[in-house]
Amino acid sequence: MKIGFAGMSHLGIVTSAATAAKGFDVVIYGTPAMISEPGLPELLAVNQSRIKPITNPGALKDCDLVVVSLDVSTDIGNHSDLTGLRQLIAQLPPVATLVILSQVPPGFTRSLKLPNVYYQVETLIFGRAVERALHPERYMIGCANPSAPLPDSYAKWLQAFDCPILPMRYESAELAKISINMFLVSSVATTNTLAEVCEAIGADWNEIAPALRLDKRIGQHAYLSPGLGIAGGNLERDLITVRTLAEQHGTDASIVTAWLANSRYRRDWVLRKLHEHIGEPIAVWGLAYKQDTASTKNSPALALLELLKGFRVQTYDPAVKGTATSALEACADAAVLVVMTPWKEFSSYSAAQLAGKMKGRVVIDPFAMLDGQQLTADGFMYHRVGGE
Amino acid sequence: MRTVILGGRGFLGSTLAKRLPDVLLLGSAEVDLIQPTAVEKLRSLIREGDALVFASALTPDKGKDARTAMKNLAMGEHVSAVVESVKFSHIVYISSDAVYADDANPVRETSCASPTTLYGLMHLMRERMILVSAGKTPVMIVRLCAMYGTGDTHNSYGPNRFMRTAVKDRVIQLFGQGEEQRDHLHVNDCARLIELCLKERFIGVLNAATGKAVSFMEVAQMVAAIVGGVEVKGQPRSGPVTHRHFDITEMIKAFPLFQFTPLEDGLRALR
Repeated sequence: MKIGFAGMSHLGIVTSAATAAKGFDVVIYGTPAMISEPGLPELLAVNQSRIKPITNPGALKDCDLVVVSLDVSTDIGNHSDLTGLRQLIAQLPPVATLVILSQVPPGFTRSLKLPNVYYQVETLIFGRAVERALHPERYMIGCANPSAPLPDSYAKWLQAFDCPILPMRYESAELAKISINMFLVSSVATTNTLAEVCEAIGADWNEIAPALRLDKRIGQHAYLSPGLGIAGGNLERDLITVRTLAEQHGTDASIVTAWLANSRYRRDWVLRKLHEHIGEPIAVWGLAYKQDTASTKNSPALALLELLKGFRVQTYDPAVKGTATSALEACADAAVLVVMTPWKEFSSYSAAQLAGKMKGRVVIDPFAMLDGQQLTADGFMYHRVGGE
Repeated sequence: MRTVILGGRGFLGSTLAKRLPDVLLLGSAEVDLIQPTAVEKLRSLIREGDALVFASALTPDKGKDARTAMKNLAMGEHVSAVVESVKFSHIVYISSDAVYADDANPVRETSCASPTTLYGLMHLMRERMILVSAGKTPVMIVRLCAMYGTGDTHNSYGPNRFMRTAVKDRVIQLFGQGEEQRDHLHVNDCARLIELCLKERFIGVLNAATGKAVSFMEVAQMVAAIVGGVEVKGQPRSGPVTHRHFDITEMIKAFPLFQFTPLEDGLRALR
């Protein structure tokens, strides 16, 4: 069976590789995005023989199934721009079954007015995309008629991944994707709100979070790590989509406005701490919006650098080009060290190593990557979110 | 560039004037802004290209009633008429955090302006008057929290009154146990912020606050420790405890190097 992919986004690359890994022949169309994802090089190396790039979308007509996986860009206000997606779909030849995997707002799939089209909810997580593509928790499939069976080719592809398949109407599936992100944002906002209370009253969120995880209503995998608000673009896009829908239909989405405001406030946590310890140069570890990715979209680090124009700043990120060659090199003579992305390698540095490089003794480490107790014992001023 | 300060004889206006090289100070003795004749008088004194700081208002200690509010609005009306007809290079309107809702914590520039007092409502109205009259002239609105410092002509509840009564009577009287937390801004810091706004010709809204709220009890205890031999006395509370905190992130973004006078240092200088 041959499965075509149109739009080689992060999602398209990982999903097509996972599909090839399940033994399907894969055809890919589109310029591949530059991505960094743990496990992906190995997955591609093993399955390269089953993946065939094409340059003409007309060649997709021989596929049993065509999956559209173009990344939907967002503007500065996090509104989706669907122009490119619509153009790509218009270029495709008539196919037996078309699956939209791109992130679209409710109403999009039905508006295509195409036969045999399905919307499949993607739940890609940067940094864990391969693991989730090979072992999905479930598939949510938007259908014109949820009670009708899926086409054989589509069902065969999904069944290869051995997880529950949940058919539903288009709009439900499109909103299900957003619903997942809304629940994640609510956890992030709640965690950050309480983390700040912890900082104010001398409590420690790291002591509270494990207790919450043992509550079945909250769960082991809940987003309970305090940080610098939401970033990356996808969650923000979905919040804006819900707010737009609420404006159109007169529903109450004031909580979304509150989440966005809370996220902006948290993003500036580092700036407020830095203001208490003005000094130059400032070493910044991490530019990516989170660990294990090179993506800097809506990254708190870039937002901080924008505000630090006029200050001498020395940056390092293991995945982002144009930074120092090592974390310690970025610390040379620094007055302050700020850790903006929780890359695992940062936790390997000791207080003594920092003391040997920095001229100042201030470390702002929102994600608690470093040994705060040791740093404090060695005379550093140490700040993290969620505790003293 | 010359700066015209309306309210130039007041607590803030006189402090600001000391920081600026070329100023025209106008107090109520020179121009009574409440009177309609103020319009022509101001036009005769102002030059095109002047910067304007409008810091004149009857504060709540002069009255919280409708009559006082209407006098303040009359000042706004007359200054607006001047703003409409004279081309200023920049206008700074000195407003108050009273424009915000009482429960807007932490107060930030985007907080809902929903005043519960005539004083706050008056400032909100005057802000709008100036913005409408200014047209394309850049306007900066600075909303002040409670100010203290040497030369305070008011006797409001807070640092200055505490220092006066501590020195004179050896006692500081609090409402309740002084639990309410407020942000206390030193007048010199406020003047420095306005000076920076003028220098950069900033536009928009800025809350002038330190971002660190302390209780009146803490302020009283600091004053008592500075003066020595002072009793801090509480009394039964008549109303609920309310707090006011500021999120000063926008101020930090605008002026990343700006540092505030520590409260204890500011109180010590009151002595």
